[in-house]
Amino acid sequence: MTDPLLTILYILVFPGFVFLLMYSLFFEFLDRRITARMQNRVGPPFFQPCADVVKMLGKEVIDPDGVDRRIFDAAPLVALAAVMTAFLCIPVGGNSIVRFQGDLILVLYLLTIPTIVLFLLGWLSRNVFSAIGGIRAVTQLFIYEVPFFLVMLAPALMAGTWSVSEIAHWQQENAWFLLLQPIGFVVALVCLQAKLERTPFDIPEAETEIVAGPWTELTGRRLALMHLAKDASLVTGSALIAALYLGGPMTPWVILPVWLGWAAGFFLFLVKTLAILLVLSSIKVATGRIRIDQLNAIGWKYITGAALVQIALVLVMNFWQVGI
Amino acid sequence: MSVLYEMVKNLLARPFTILYPSEKVPIPAAFRGRVAINDDTCIGCSKCSLVCSVQCISMADSPKEIEFKGKKVQRKKKPRLNLFRCIRCGLCERHCPTGAIHLKNELSESGTDRDMVVT
Amino acid sequence: MANVIVPIGPHHPALKEPVNFRIVADGERIVRLELDLSYNHRGIEKAAEQRDFIRVLPLLERVCGICSHSHSTVFVKGIEEIMELEIPPRARFIRTIIAELERMHSHLLWLGVAAHEVGFNTLFMWTWRDREAVQDTLEEMSGNRVHYGMNEVGGIRRDLTPSEVNAALARLPHLEERIREYAKMVNDQETLLIRFKGVGKLSRDEALAYGAVGPTARASGVDYDIRRDDPYLAYTVVPWNVVTDTSGDVYGRTRVRIGELQESIKIVRHCLENLPEGPIRVNAPKTAPKGEILSRYEAPRGELAHFIRTNGTDKVERVDIRTPTLANWTSVALCLVNQNLADIPVIVAAIDPCLSCTSRITVVNPKDRTTGIVTFDELRKQSHLRASMQERR
Repeated sequence: MTDPLLTILYILVFPGFVFLLMYSLFFEFLDRRITARMQNRVGPPFFQPCADVVKMLGKEVIDPDGVDRRIFDAAPLVALAAVMTAFLCIPVGGNSIVRFQGDLILVLYLLTIPTIVLFLLGWLSRNVFSAIGGIRAVTQLFIYEVPFFLVMLAPALMAGTWSVSEIAHWQQENAWFLLLQPIGFVVALVCLQAKLERTPFDIPEAETEIVAGPWTELTGRRLALMHLAKDASLVTGSALIAALYLGGPMTPWVILPVWLGWAAGFFLFLVKTLAILLVLSSIKVATGRIRIDQLNAIGWKYITGAALVQIALVLVMNFWQVGI
Repeated sequence: MSVLYEMVKNLLARPFTILYPSEKVPIPAAFRGRVAINDDTCIGCSKCSLVCSVQCISMADSPKEIEFKGKKVQRKKKPRLNLFRCIRCGLCERHCPTGAIHLKNELSESGTDRDMVVT
Repeated sequence: MANVIVPIGPHHPALKEPVNFRIVADGERIVRLELDLSYNHRGIEKAAEQRDFIRVLPLLERVCGICSHSHSTVFVKGIEEIMELEIPPRARFIRTIIAELERMHSHLLWLGVAAHEVGFNTLFMWTWRDREAVQDTLEEMSGNRVHYGMNEVGGIRRDLTPSEVNAALARLPHLEERIREYAKMVNDQETLLIRFKGVGKLSRDEALAYGAVGPTARASGVDYDIRRDDPYLAYTVVPWNVVTDTSGDVYGRTRVRIGELQESIKIVRHCLENLPEGPIRVNAPKTAPKGEILSRYEAPRGELAHFIRTNGTDKVERVDIRTPTLANWTSVALCLVNQNLADIPVIVAAIDPCLSCTSRITVVNPKDRTTGIVTFDELRKQSHLRASMQERR
């Protein structure tokens, strides 16, 4: 075990919480800027997401009549904490310090917590729009979780390990999973878009139909924390897919000295997550929202079907290599 | 896919937005902006006040001698226009016999006084 | 789950203007719609009775911002017919140009709003960017982007200079190409197709029975366009086609509106290139003879009708405005039953609602805080009562 001071610095500052928050605000800026430029507009300036969070923190907190104030205060904190903890297990510039066998399962579990929190908020809001939005959030969760877990499982099966950092490390010696499992990569991106509730899957938050869904009654610092949780899950999701499919922060060959290898890996991590963000933003700009029953049809037929095909292919390939 | 092609084209091009204040929107010549009353040509016939759709023009005393169609006319009143209530419809400009009251193509900017008048 | 009442409005992000839909929903399926209009009633019809023919036009223009030229033209056309005035051909052509430019900007606006209602904000930004070309043209010609003020009894107020005509003609090719792009996008874009096709179906018989007008009816196969069937202005001398579709759903209405956009560009180009010379107005009398007239016009949303009664003075005695949106609301109530909750904004946006135009009577009971509407049977009883009172007098 490394020096405890280094561990604390890793968790709290870099590449832990402070880095995560700054990077997620930067991601939000880039997302909004790229979206705007694709739509032929100008887009917000660099410090806009930071200004938004600061402003929201300062606003008045409004409690609707008869709503349980303590759960409303605690729920956004729980969501943000879950996402921030999940980010710690993902390798950022070399192996993650808090890695262990099975941390892939932990990350996937923690990433579902924000959606459950949204459902909870929607249900407790005593508001018809929030209730409908919460129900839609959970329905969407059922539809995309199965293929998402399957395609996150596929690299673990092939690499033979349950730790995200070791899967990333495996790709340094062999090929990227992007090349070995392209179907899985596409399904992973689509399911990540659904998890983050962005167009075409922003059904729980459909502005023109149900005001803001479960976000309707969030105000002030609750909204700021939930907003940060959403941004952080964008970064965490992109980092997870980058680690599992694009080789994470691993350089194609081992670079010495160690600190240079670490820095090069970190730079590659940034490049890969930004590339994933570009793809996600393009999907957001190019499509409109679909209905929840249409998502049901598409999700179970095509997306889960593709994920199952991918798993079958991985099992066949494993069997082949074991046989040989 | 026409949407994807257009998206990429826009990403690399300049945005359509007019970047105020470094660029300004071009104002056409016919724009109905600030109301102005020319003191030297108004003959005080009150037609603008009668035609005004929102009745924002009242006539105030203002004697002056004006040259109108070659003859000297003694004007008794002049219009006073309440800028806040004016809807810039341009009927006064259309029915004025001398063109004394007219709408310029400058932007009528904002103010803080509800009873601001043009006279 | 028991039936839930989802209140859409009067305050709601999907609505640009206040209207109250009380949707009774069973899960995500709509059972019934209870509609309550009249939040935008401003008493314009009463105010119009107190203004003479010069001063009433800016008032009637401001009934609606998007179809302002429609209201002003239909009124002026009715008055001119009562006075038996013949306006010069140049005025007729310029009125047609402004009318078709208004139709273009309204349909481009609608395309953007319909895309926004399904969450496709990209198309919303692009169509509104191209709409700026139409607005710039209108601003150069008339002085304002909405409420153009071009009409007066006897003709139009200001003339078009050759430079304005050339500037307008120069903008048309780019617009035509963009509209062709949007027609292609609407046909190819998967998410638009699955959200629009089969949604809000209105059959031809239902459209005729419930009095739908405009592109809403033409998309269901009702081949009726006031510009061809009760012609006015320059529509008899300009070559153009009526656009219809047979599917009757939101996709059909989209195709009808895009087709009308393309027809409008052709009409504007033809009128600009063949603008006749001559005066732009004739001298109109100050008072109108006694008469009643029903003046009709094809506004961007459908058939707009003004019923005007004059009595020999320089003011109207009664003007009654029947807007196309008012005629289309019952078809919305019909289309929404058994549809998905998520389709409400799409179906409502498909009739292109302009709530400033729609004004209805509502009966308010302040003692027990209820509102209601006047039913048909109550109206008949009232009218029988009044008729018998008048007979006794």
